[in-house]
Amino acid sequence: MTDKIEIEVNGEKVSGDNGQSALEFLHGKNEDIPSVCYHPSLGAIETCDTCIVEKNGEMVRACSSEIDSGDVLNTMSKEVKEARKVAIDRILYNHELYCTVCDYNNGGCEIHNTVKEMQVEHQSVPFEPKPFEKDSNSFYRYDPDQCILCGRCVEACQDVQVTETLTIDWERERPRVIWDNDVPIEESSCVSCGHCSTVCPCNAMMENGMEGEAGYMTGMAEDTLRPLIDITKGVETGYSSILAVSDMEASMRESRIEKTKTVCTYCGVGCSFDVWTKGRDILKVEPQQEAPANGISTCVKGKFGWDFVNSEERLTKPLIRDGQSFREAEWKEALGLIKQKFTKIKEEHGADALSFISSSKCTNEESYLMQKLARGVIGTNNVDNCSRYCQSPATMGLFRTVGYGGDSGSITDIQQADLVLTIGSNTSESHPVLATRVKSSHKLREQKLIVSDLRKHEMAQRSDLFIRPESGTDLIWLSAVTKYIIDQGWADETFMAENVNGVEEYKETLEPYTLEYASEMTGISQEDLIQTAEMIHESGKVCILWAMGVTQHQGGSDTSTAISNLLLVTGNYGKPGTGAYPLRGHNNVQGASDFGSMPDRFPGYQFVTDEEVRGSFEQAWNTKLPEHAGLNNHEMVDAIHEGTLKSMYLKGEDMGIVDSNINYVHSAFEKLDFFVVQDLFLTTTAQFADVVLPASPSLEKEGTFTNTERRIQRLYQVLEPLGGSKPDWEIIMAIANELDAGWEYSHPSDIMAEAAALTPIFAGVSYERLEGYHSLQWPVHADGTDEPMLFAERFPFEDGKARLYPVEWTEPVQYEEEYDLQVNNGRLLEHFHEGNMTYRSRGITRETPRAFVEVSPQLAEERSLRDGTVVRLVSPYGAVKLPCLVTERVQKKEIYIPLNDDGNGAVNQLTSSYADKDTDTPAYKEVRVKMEILQEKGSSPLPKINHRFGNPQPQIGVQVEKKWQRQDYTFPGDAVKGGR
Amino acid sequence: MAEKIQHIRKMEVSEEEQRQQDLREIEDALIENKDVILKSLSTLQHAEERGVISLLHGLFADGDKVLKVLVDTMNNEENTTSIRNLLLLLGVAGRVEVEKLEPILLKVNDGLRRVGEESDTEEKVGYMDVIKSLKDPEVNRAVTLLLTFLKGMGQQTEQDMKTGKETPDQKM
Repeated sequence: MTDKIEIEVNGEKVSGDNGQSALEFLHGKNEDIPSVCYHPSLGAIETCDTCIVEKNGEMVRACSSEIDSGDVLNTMSKEVKEARKVAIDRILYNHELYCTVCDYNNGGCEIHNTVKEMQVEHQSVPFEPKPFEKDSNSFYRYDPDQCILCGRCVEACQDVQVTETLTIDWERERPRVIWDNDVPIEESSCVSCGHCSTVCPCNAMMENGMEGEAGYMTGMAEDTLRPLIDITKGVETGYSSILAVSDMEASMRESRIEKTKTVCTYCGVGCSFDVWTKGRDILKVEPQQEAPANGISTCVKGKFGWDFVNSEERLTKPLIRDGQSFREAEWKEALGLIKQKFTKIKEEHGADALSFISSSKCTNEESYLMQKLARGVIGTNNVDNCSRYCQSPATMGLFRTVGYGGDSGSITDIQQADLVLTIGSNTSESHPVLATRVKSSHKLREQKLIVSDLRKHEMAQRSDLFIRPESGTDLIWLSAVTKYIIDQGWADETFMAENVNGVEEYKETLEPYTLEYASEMTGISQEDLIQTAEMIHESGKVCILWAMGVTQHQGGSDTSTAISNLLLVTGNYGKPGTGAYPLRGHNNVQGASDFGSMPDRFPGYQFVTDEEVRGSFEQAWNTKLPEHAGLNNHEMVDAIHEGTLKSMYLKGEDMGIVDSNINYVHSAFEKLDFFVVQDLFLTTTAQFADVVLPASPSLEKEGTFTNTERRIQRLYQVLEPLGGSKPDWEIIMAIANELDAGWEYSHPSDIMAEAAALTPIFAGVSYERLEGYHSLQWPVHADGTDEPMLFAERFPFEDGKARLYPVEWTEPVQYEEEYDLQVNNGRLLEHFHEGNMTYRSRGITRETPRAFVEVSPQLAEERSLRDGTVVRLVSPYGAVKLPCLVTERVQKKEIYIPLNDDGNGAVNQLTSSYADKDTDTPAYKEVRVKMEILQEKGSSPLPKINHRFGNPQPQIGVQVEKKWQRQDYTFPGDAVKGGR
Repeated sequence: MAEKIQHIRKMEVSEEEQRQQDLREIEDALIENKDVILKSLSTLQHAEERGVISLLHGLFADGDKVLKVLVDTMNNEENTTSIRNLLLLLGVAGRVEVEKLEPILLKVNDGLRRVGEESDTEEKVGYMDVIKSLKDPEVNRAVTLLLTFLKGMGQQTEQDMKTGKETPDQKM
């Protein structure tokens, strides 16, 4: 096999790369080959027949035809052209050309562009409407009359997103796309991820936001539009003149539709895309192939969940507590008050009486400024961020063993692993786009999947092996599997000898973890444990993904460590397709800590206690900095209760809902002398504040986020800040300067430049290197090279070797017997966190109006529960009131509560103040409750239009063979050669 | 003690304050765009004098209705055919090679002039007279020209046509 081949194209010798299809090869040589159904992210679909070429004398579809040295291609013969004309005719029979009044006329329509390129003047078969009505849900619509049956949407739904809702029914006289087993969109399993409308080559699948909005004449009433289309067709003298007019109209649109790149804020995957806006209206979100983390992929929140930005409830002026209400105030007054209070508290009680909390939704630059304000201006290390609530234990486990607290590789590594093992991760709902990569590799590329979880969620249903340990016992089975692997002689001794310290000591500590013991403690059968070990052993490349099911326990750090130990023992670090992936929950969980909003670390995880490091920051900031570590979130709440902490400045976090044991947190807020909250809305937390500052969301500012892959990406400003709201970085700077700090940042890039200069792992980070869709995965060296995959050369310890770190199991919190139900909690696909943002999307709220409690059929039977039964759940710390949903996703006496509620159903009224012993991350998952029935009958908390009631129809691709088998189909290549 | 509160007292801007603020903004805009505004005003004055303003007013005030009437009127076969013919004729006009046409037109003019001059003659032309006249170089040139023209006219032109329809093909 050589890398280069030489072929003949239209009589000329051309050389190029091996292993391409004829279409890729020719496109690479800038040959204009029509290709309506082809999409580089989907590969050959073979439905449109427009890319026909002659290869070695035979008519073939260029998209699916591999080429080899010596092949002879003809792309311009009369017959090739005739065959393509037949193909485009068939498309135009299915699609009415009314480009000028079409919302999709934005320069990217494949049909428009192909008709123009092929210089088609007329169609041989007139367009004929299909006997089907338009259909839509809250987010997108399908117009059968415009659908050319190319199957891109089906490919994306079946094989990229892998929700498996869409198919084309090739059997009926006029084929069409159908949902599930031919039901309306709203009754189907469609999760509204938006892939179909993203890849549709025309206006058949289109975002509702575009409809009637994109064009100058598309908003016309239907009864005016129809005659106008007829006129256009009546006067047509050939398509070129029509297309010229529509091209003109398309260029005019550019002056009023802005397309701005941003990075999504709904989870740690870090999807980036263009947002199309007209004024403040968001027309659509358009993912780009070049987006490094997600390509063409999105989930419902990223694609459609942005209504909150224009919500009437957004705060537009600072609020100051005044008696029994807040009053709107000018910035000047609010900043003056903050200065006065901060100064007074510092004078009376010292700098450590103040505290600062950054947000994992805000940018890296904002995290950096918050810690600089705390340390450099106030003089305290009492600064933390909300990753304390989720991911600190994972970071701890990785620091102990491999030295960097981040994903070992990229999403592409997960994609190419032989085996993916997920532990305590509801991946397809919490990290939807990342999950699609696992689902598609599993479906199409023989990747194996083991899922360990309490709950039988989508990933569990798809897995090859699903193990269901008792809550909080993952460390035990992980250690037992590790021991079994070592005992069988399956450990990667070579890798360990070269790269790992502490091997023998570690092996000894595994002694107690026999299969018998593990099976007894976890409830997993010995067979399943052995099978897990065997599957790991048999797979060359293993990735382990974990999330809150691991970290939110008292032994969260230890279990994370056990995961990393298992990977070290089996040599699954430092190679493509391997590694540890603690899936970061929010868009900037990684970056909030990376950029120093931690009580014991400066940016880049440099210790505040390290004199040399501190010295460099003191020099750069020209001030003396505190020497001892500060308080973390959890300790701050305790310190308020103890009376030593008097003030808190918190941004972008509804701590009063998302911290555990919130009744305890609320009473702490009430005790604060001075409380400043910065947010988009008057959140539950903000309601306790003395001053509320109106912040701008990601769409209204610039900055960078760091996703779960350690990937730093830029976001650009899509909209102006609403009313008097301001980007967080501007607000922090205003406060600092009110306190005479004299900061002079004119743009977030100035802040990044300062942070990069002080932080070795960001040495080469600059806004220029992050332009557009460019990104960098830290550590970034001064010359700009980054490390998409860690540990290829060495582990970042002094001797370059990783460490096996012995850990012991911590028993979960024990409850009295009356608390007989195990509470599991987590996300739903549709909502984010407490729901401040997503409940403001009408479409999302229509589909999923509120939180609920999932109960198992067994429990329902035992307690006479049904969908809609309202229950009160009581823990020793508080109570919630929720309607039931009976589902087999949960079993026995385990219940599941989505965390998306900020009222009576807020799950953290139940959780305790117990926390991970190493990081103080709350043990959210160690909750037990008792149940009382409040109301036997009620309506189901999930409406029938929720996707969970659908019936997916799995198949591979669009099944074009069925089209080819139709009586009325002849391959255009044959039609041309045979017929004439 | 700071209890949870939800009520917000909106900042009250008095009507007079709001008015002052709005006026100020308008004033700023006027000053910034002084020249163009003055020019626009004089243009508008001319438009008003010629009744254009009230015409536009009617058009915009009932925009949707007007558009509907317009579109409906245009959308009958007679009108669409005439627009179509017009577009086709324009297309043909674009392809006529006037340089070549000119000498022919001059000749046609000459022919017409002679016909005009001799239109009153009672003389009858016999079969032999026709053959004889072919020897007349003037007549012979004219006939050769006509024959060549007829030959060209009989040539296939389908590939250049914009109006033709081909036979239906496969639908799928």
